[in-house]
Amino acid sequence: MEKQSAFNIYPMDQFIIDPILTGDSLEWYSFTNQALWMLISLVSISFVFIYGSRKHQLVPGRLQSIAELLYFFIRDMIIDIAGQEGLRYFPYIFTLFILILFGNVLGLLPYSFTYTSHIAVTGFLALSVFVAVTIIGFVKNGLGFLSLFWISSAPLALRPILLIIEVISYFVRPVSHSIRLAGNMMAGHAVIKVFAGFAGALGLGAIAPIFAITAVYGLEMLVVVIQAYVFTILTCVYLNDALHPGH
Amino acid sequence: MASNSDNSSVGMPQLDFSTFPNQIFWLVVFCVVLFAIVKFFIIPRMEDIFANRRKIIDGNIAKAEEIRLRVSEIEKHIEEELQKAKSQCDEIMNASGNNIKEQMALALEDSKIATTQLISEAEGRLKELRDGSEAAIEKISEELASVIISKISRGK
Repeated sequence: MEKQSAFNIYPMDQFIIDPILTGDSLEWYSFTNQALWMLISLVSISFVFIYGSRKHQLVPGRLQSIAELLYFFIRDMIIDIAGQEGLRYFPYIFTLFILILFGNVLGLLPYSFTYTSHIAVTGFLALSVFVAVTIIGFVKNGLGFLSLFWISSAPLALRPILLIIEVISYFVRPVSHSIRLAGNMMAGHAVIKVFAGFAGALGLGAIAPIFAITAVYGLEMLVVVIQAYVFTILTCVYLNDALHPGH
Repeated sequence: MASNSDNSSVGMPQLDFSTFPNQIFWLVVFCVVLFAIVKFFIIPRMEDIFANRRKIIDGNIAKAEEIRLRVSEIEKHIEEELQKAKSQCDEIMNASGNNIKEQMALALEDSKIATTQLISEAEGRLKELRDGSEAAIEKISEELASVIISKISRGK
C-alpha cells in the first residue's frame, strides 16, 4: 500500500490471470491462478461427493446430505423440465452445475479467484451447451427441429415475424447465457472490492464500508447459488427445446 | 497489487483476449476430468446409495404388507373359532334343554304311575272297609232282630 495515495482502488485486479508457476509469460499451457482454483474446486467436489459419501450411509451424515441434495436436485430438475429422456444428459448437466456452483462459492473466499467471472470460461460453457443442444435437436428430430422457429400455434400472418424473432433469440442464447453468469460474478466481486478499498482508506473508522461489505457478501452468497441454478435450469430448458421442439 | 498495472489496471481483464487460449485450455482439461469423476465415481455412488435405500424401504413395505396379511388371517381365524364356539354352545344348550325336558317327562310319568297306584290302593281299602261295615250291619241287625223278637215274646 505504498502507492501515490491511499485511495487507489483496483477492483478489477482480482480478475487478472496470473501464471503462477512459469514466471511472467502466459502461454496457452501455463498453470495460472485460474487453473489453480479450478483444481481446488475439483478437489472440493471430490471431497464432498466422494469422501463425504464414502460410507454409503443409509441415513446420510452432513457431507453426504449435501451431496445427495445437490445430486437429486439437479436430477429432479432435469426430469421436471426435459422429461425422462433428458436424464440421458444428466452427467453433462450435473458436471456443468457443480463446476459453476463450486467456482462461484469458492470465489467468495478472500484472496480466491473466481473463474466463473471470466467471459472466456462462461462463454465456452454456454457455447458448448448451444452447440450440443443444436446437434441433439437435429439428430433427434431431423429437420423437424426447425419447427422450433415456426410457431404453429400463432396466426399464420404472424409466423414469419415470429420466425425472425425466434431465430435471433436462438442465436443470442449463448451470449445471454454466458454474460449473465460472468457479469453477476464480476459485478458482485468488484463491488466488494470497492467497499474493501474504502474500508482500507478509512482505517479504523471504517464501520460503514465494513457493514456494506457484510451486506453485499450476504447478497453474493445468494447470487452465487442462484446463478449456478439459473445457468443449469436454462441449459435444461434449451435441452427440452431440442428434445421436444414442437412445444 | 498495483504492480500488475502493466497488465491491466484499466479496463477488464475479462476482455484480454490473449488469455483466452490459456483459459479455455485449462477449462477443457478440468471439465474432462470433472466429467470423468462425475461419470465414474459420483453417479455410481449416488445411484448405489439411492438403490440401497429404495431396496430397504421396499423391503420394509413388503414386510409390513406381509404382517398386515397375517394379521387379517389371524383375525379371520379368531372369527371362525368364535363362530365355532358359538355353534357349539348352541348345540350344548339345545341338548341340555332336551335332556331336561326328557327328565321332566320321565319324572311326570313316574309320579303319575305312583299316584294312580296310591289311588287304586286307597280305593281297595275303601272297598274293604265298606264290605266290612256291611257285614257288621248285617250281624248287628240280626242280633237286634233276635233281641226284639225275644222282647216281644217275653212281653206276651
